[in-house]
Amino acid sequence: MLSVLEQNGARVSAVNAPAAALGLVPGMPLADARAIHPALGVAPADPDGDAQGLRRLALWCQRYSPLTRIDAPDGVSIDIAGCAHLFGGEEALMADLADRLHGFGLTARLALAPTLGAAWALARYGGTQMVQVAPGETGEVLAPLPVAALRIEADTVRALERLGLDRIGLLAGKPRAPLAGRFGPLLVQRLDQALGREGERFDPVEAAPVYRIARNFAEPVVTLEAIGEVAARLTGELAEMLQGLGKAARRLELALYRVDGWREALELRITRPSNDAPHLLRLLGERLDRLRDHAGFGFEAAVLSAFEVERAEAVQAVLSGREHSPPPPGDLDRLLDRLVNRFGPERVSRFAPRESHVPERSCHPVSALAQAARQDWAAHGRALHGGTALARPPLLFARPEPVEVLVEMPDKPPARFEWRRTAHRIVRAEGPERIAPEWWAGGEANRLTRDYYRVEDTEGRRFWLYREGLYDRPGDTVSWFVHGLFA
Amino acid sequence: MRTGETLAALRARIKAGGLDETPAWPAVELEGEMGTQSTVLPGGLASGALHELQPATPADVGAATGFALGLASRLLARRPGPLLWGLPSTRGWREGQLYPVGLGAFGIDPDRVIQVEVRKTADLLWSLEEALDHPSLAVVVGLLPEGDRLYDFTASRRLAMRAARHGATVLLLGAAPVFDMATAASTRWSLAALASRPVPHVGQAVPGLGPPRWQARLVKSRKGLLDAWDLEWNHETLSFRLAAPLADRAPLRRAGRLSRRPTAA
Repeated sequence: MLSVLEQNGARVSAVNAPAAALGLVPGMPLADARAIHPALGVAPADPDGDAQGLRRLALWCQRYSPLTRIDAPDGVSIDIAGCAHLFGGEEALMADLADRLHGFGLTARLALAPTLGAAWALARYGGTQMVQVAPGETGEVLAPLPVAALRIEADTVRALERLGLDRIGLLAGKPRAPLAGRFGPLLVQRLDQALGREGERFDPVEAAPVYRIARNFAEPVVTLEAIGEVAARLTGELAEMLQGLGKAARRLELALYRVDGWREALELRITRPSNDAPHLLRLLGERLDRLRDHAGFGFEAAVLSAFEVERAEAVQAVLSGREHSPPPPGDLDRLLDRLVNRFGPERVSRFAPRESHVPERSCHPVSALAQAARQDWAAHGRALHGGTALARPPLLFARPEPVEVLVEMPDKPPARFEWRRTAHRIVRAEGPERIAPEWWAGGEANRLTRDYYRVEDTEGRRFWLYREGLYDRPGDTVSWFVHGLFA
Repeated sequence: MRTGETLAALRARIKAGGLDETPAWPAVELEGEMGTQSTVLPGGLASGALHELQPATPADVGAATGFALGLASRLLARRPGPLLWGLPSTRGWREGQLYPVGLGAFGIDPDRVIQVEVRKTADLLWSLEEALDHPSLAVVVGLLPEGDRLYDFTASRRLAMRAARHGATVLLLGAAPVFDMATAASTRWSLAALASRPVPHVGQAVPGLGPPRWQARLVKSRKGLLDAWDLEWNHETLSFRLAAPLADRAPLRRAGRLSRRPTAA
């Protein structure tokens, strides 16, 4: 039995079969439950863990169909339209699923029905472990079920029961307008959805791929080499399929299903849509290493999915065999793919200007995966420093470093400063260049005015110093920082 | 097929007797004014090769980086394609990150820069090699982390061979103790900042900053020529030039003061 701590003490959140037989129900205070049966085994509930587990299960169910969704808090829906024949028909699929879930140690109740609502109702209130409904029989099968099976609010259920309308069958024949007027539109909508009179949106846990290739293995695959071979075969087939259709994918996912229900997914993002098997396989191959310690008892199925599929651009193959021929088109994209694949998209970056006068905010790295648009750096420079490129250092510290400064007069460049325990005497200086704070952005860091100086010490080393705060403004604390290095 | 091709190319090069010699691709000259070109590094700096740059003292990191940017700028002007800037992810905190707005001084278009941040030296070397394998890059710059021990002769050899294959140049920037062993680099430079030419401003007690200057010491060269030059970066022509040494004006000033004193009295 599980308990959950609420505002007014611990309550029972779930019970197992023997506890239910004792008359314990979810929602009762834990103290009452203990009074009924003192030797009760209680474990704290873990709703987050449950949610994660359910999500994992929903993802794992993608081996049956790409469309699966989580029905919080305790269910998973799978849209198997067009998928059942791959597993030998609907019965075989159900049996296979039941078998595997049992193998994971899960007590699951399965229902297969023409509508989501009916399947939901039958799985929870159907009474048996496994129910299957033929297309024409939905109304009949649902009729004896309690109204709670309609996925409606508890208040509505209670109100309906008070009126004696406690079976779905009793509702089905009633005039709709009074029902909707009395209990709200949700009841009628749910009823229609369960009976198939109205469609229902299916929000899958992950967007459905455009193309998908799945393989089940006769024997679990354990070694990295074998996984690599599987990946090669799947990649080859997918690439061939894409090439045949004149398409190319921007995102790939290789999902591997472990015998014990774990699902490993490797995601591949590609700079330029590709359908080139060797390139894709090379990228994928570098990722496979991550599975080294994850194989466990082996993988039993693999699915390679292609997302974000676009029309392939025809590429002219390089015909000349010369050593220093111009780089083949797409060569740079391949390099970026490999770098991104190894280090992650945020570690391979280009620069993009940003509308801000504050130096550290005036540009930002963008992932090299983003389509490279020509940036107008000249205009950005003009806006920042009037086009005098020399006014900005090529190296900027990730965080300005505080320095001890000796200033002879306010608003004059400092005479000397100490930074990283070294004293620098300043013999050349330019400034100040005043950079006003972005007060509208809020925050303490945006309150103080900065005066920047370019300085050079006796050795010829150049620094970009700034003073934060003004001497003559009350409330300003004045401090000095080194922000960057000039060549 | 690809391997065969490479092997054939290598064999051909060995036959030509030039495996060790960097092939004669257009070199990067340190262009000077008034015919100094010939005096600074005759024949120029080989492209399609590995060059090591080290700051003369730890405080000269900015200077060494600036020199690397100068060389990179010269290379970018000659060869299409981007510049790959590979650095350890901790570097930005200690030595500063590339600031695209400031690259204008070196004439480098920030759009041509691709930055790769890595955690380990092994990853850095991998990404440099990988980049050199792709002919579309113009320059590859790697910043070795402080106290690195992984970069050795083998690593340098791999980089140099790859650089030669497609003609991209690789510049490796390391802290001084990194480069104390024999490597396959074409040149090794030690760079120290030099006081710049003062730019006097009317009404200012302290003169302004002139263009950056370095004392560039060639401490290792495959051609055997070792020397040191005082170089200055020219922001207008985007090239290096020999810097005329600054004269010491101190005695003059003192003399002037002395002569003025009696008149004031």
